[in-house]
Amino acid sequence: MTGHSDPAATGGVIDGELPTTAGVLALANLQAQIDGQQRMALAGGLDVGGRAELIELVALRGHILGCIADYEWAQARAEQLTHDRPADGAALIARARARATFHRFTDALGDLDEARRLGADPPVVDAEHAAILQAVGRYDEALTFMREAVKRRADFASVAALASLCAESGDVATAEHLFDESRDHYRGVSPIPLAQLYFRRAQMWLAQGNLPRGHSWLSAAHRRLPAYAPAQGHLAEVEAALGETDSAIARLHPLTISSDDPDYPAQLARILSEVGRVEEAREWRARAAARYDELVTRHPEAFADHAAEFWLNAGADPHRALQLARKNLEVRQTRRAHELLAHATRAVDGARAAGRR
Amino acid sequence: MSDHNSGPRALADPVVDITDVYAFPSPEQPGFLVLVLNVFPNAEPAALFSDAVDYRFRLRPVTIPRGTAPAFAVGEKEYTFSFRFAGPVEHQAGSPLAQEGTCTASTGQTASFRVNDEQGGKAHGLRAFAGRRMDPFFFDGVRAAQTIMTRQLAFVSPGDSRQYRQNVLSIVVELDIATTFGADAGPLFAVVGETMIPGPITVRLERFGRPLMKSVVLGAKDFDTVNRDLDIRDLYNQEDPYNLGPTYLGAYRARMNANLGFWDGLDHKTDWPPDAHGTHPLTELLLADFMVIDVSKPYAEDSYFEIERALLNGASHQTCGGRSLNDDVADTIVTTLVNAGNGARISDGVDQQAVRASRTFPYLVPPELNPPAKIELSLDKSG
Repeated sequence: MTGHSDPAATGGVIDGELPTTAGVLALANLQAQIDGQQRMALAGGLDVGGRAELIELVALRGHILGCIADYEWAQARAEQLTHDRPADGAALIARARARATFHRFTDALGDLDEARRLGADPPVVDAEHAAILQAVGRYDEALTFMREAVKRRADFASVAALASLCAESGDVATAEHLFDESRDHYRGVSPIPLAQLYFRRAQMWLAQGNLPRGHSWLSAAHRRLPAYAPAQGHLAEVEAALGETDSAIARLHPLTISSDDPDYPAQLARILSEVGRVEEAREWRARAAARYDELVTRHPEAFADHAAEFWLNAGADPHRALQLARKNLEVRQTRRAHELLAHATRAVDGARAAGRR
Repeated sequence: MSDHNSGPRALADPVVDITDVYAFPSPEQPGFLVLVLNVFPNAEPAALFSDAVDYRFRLRPVTIPRGTAPAFAVGEKEYTFSFRFAGPVEHQAGSPLAQEGTCTASTGQTASFRVNDEQGGKAHGLRAFAGRRMDPFFFDGVRAAQTIMTRQLAFVSPGDSRQYRQNVLSIVVELDIATTFGADAGPLFAVVGETMIPGPITVRLERFGRPLMKSVVLGAKDFDTVNRDLDIRDLYNQEDPYNLGPTYLGAYRARMNANLGFWDGLDHKTDWPPDAHGTHPLTELLLADFMVIDVSKPYAEDSYFEIERALLNGASHQTCGGRSLNDDVADTIVTTLVNAGNGARISDGVDQQAVRASRTFPYLVPPELNPPAKIELSLDKSG
């Protein structure tokens, strides 16, 4: 018998907060929801709302488990839904979300405009619109929408969105306050929203270069939802940066099996290379490279960023990195996109200089 | 649907979404009361109970005051039956997750059980079961929605129940009435089911008193001229049914008066004339959202709302009231709301679930292994 002895796997009170359902149960129940909706969908028995809900659920599973195939499935179904119901605002919102996931921001904004014209619920459209504005680096415009949403109704979701925006735009003090406030608004038992909130908070601290605080929030996300792939992946990254390479490698191996995201083999290749395990690193590098090539071909807007990172590091091809970083900056003008381009440009210059020598 | 998907929170996390509550004298063991609470609409095999939730029944003695408004007087004494579940266990690598649970009564008895074990767990005067079963609810909810949309009764025969052969996660407790309540209490009790986050700060997630309250009586916003923009259901779910808070009481009253008035008008005559303040005669009775059962009466299959109807008519009730698993409550409720029993019984065209509930513990029938897909029905105004 293999019982779960880790307290994180058995729910209960964590960090003095309200208890949430054990991560493994929450994931099983998410799967049960998806199974039920898919059964009905297969027989053509779901209305627009049900089909949009199924798309959301599968995309959520994709986010938690790091499953790009789920995102692709969601996008294909969202396209089909708008094809079947072109005049339904809920269908257009579903497609806007799916397109935004793959960084097709202009298309997504077009869908939201059309959904608004068709009478879709304005707060829902505004929230999606604001998230896209944030993703493309138009922080001031996003802030207007998000402040309005909080003024209208300060709940977990609206405050979390504002916190995330402040975090990304570098306003750490305000973000910290809002992250706390959002958590205090939470009145559910699903661990998923809290794990996502903690993950965003961790990303803020990592962007600030504060690895211990980032690690602490990633651990909190992991305690709530042990299967949360992005938290595991970033924990590995932080641990590697702190010199805990064995732990980082141990975290990444299972992710390379459970997830189809090339970020994990890419990270593994980099860490293995740094500790001198060159042969193993080469294998993971090849695997990551093949997968990035495949994904950049299918979803150039979405994977230019991470593929550029890969070619700058484990991939060791700064010219490809520069090409992708340029593509990424076309899609969104965020601070990270500018930094990536600058980094790639320096790497290419460095490579040319080395070639001249 | 009865209380399936009853608000944004329930939609987000079906493990706390109470679909139905039932209360009936045991047909198997006279002298025992059966309480059933179902959660998780369309529960697939992977579905399990949350280990962070207290799934509980709350019962209070009630009496019928003479010569006052038609409402029950609720006693202070409270009996609870609380179900808690452990984290999951994987008995063998790759096998389905298994779960243990415990039912604890406020009187001190506890019964432990394994989820999905039909035998359940037993203690002195208490038997408890939890597991996946076929959803006993049946109702043509789509045509009820169509009725609200088109403002005309839209039920047809036969109708379609979206819960047909679907499954839920069920909780069942069977309790010895004499042991639990003693000789002095009863025979009338108010019953509610709740999902709570227990602990120093308790949070009520969902509650259920009477069927169809949130979907039929409170859900529609268009008739409410006071709070048309307010989705009232999550707020209502968080209220203590035995003591509604004052903050939103006016909003609940306004919504209820408006929606009850709509249903009454569907046969183009007024069977429930409002008072001078516009209050519908059922509003105060239904605001006290709990089911009433007489534990001294024997099991009856179609007795839902009989005690309330007797109260409204100033008569003595004849049955146990409460709600059995096979009771066609939807017909009772729609008929009551539309014609107050002054006309023919209105049918939604669905009279029972695919398999009738059993007369032996745990009463709900085993889960449907191949649930059918839902039928997508048109909601356009042409009907």
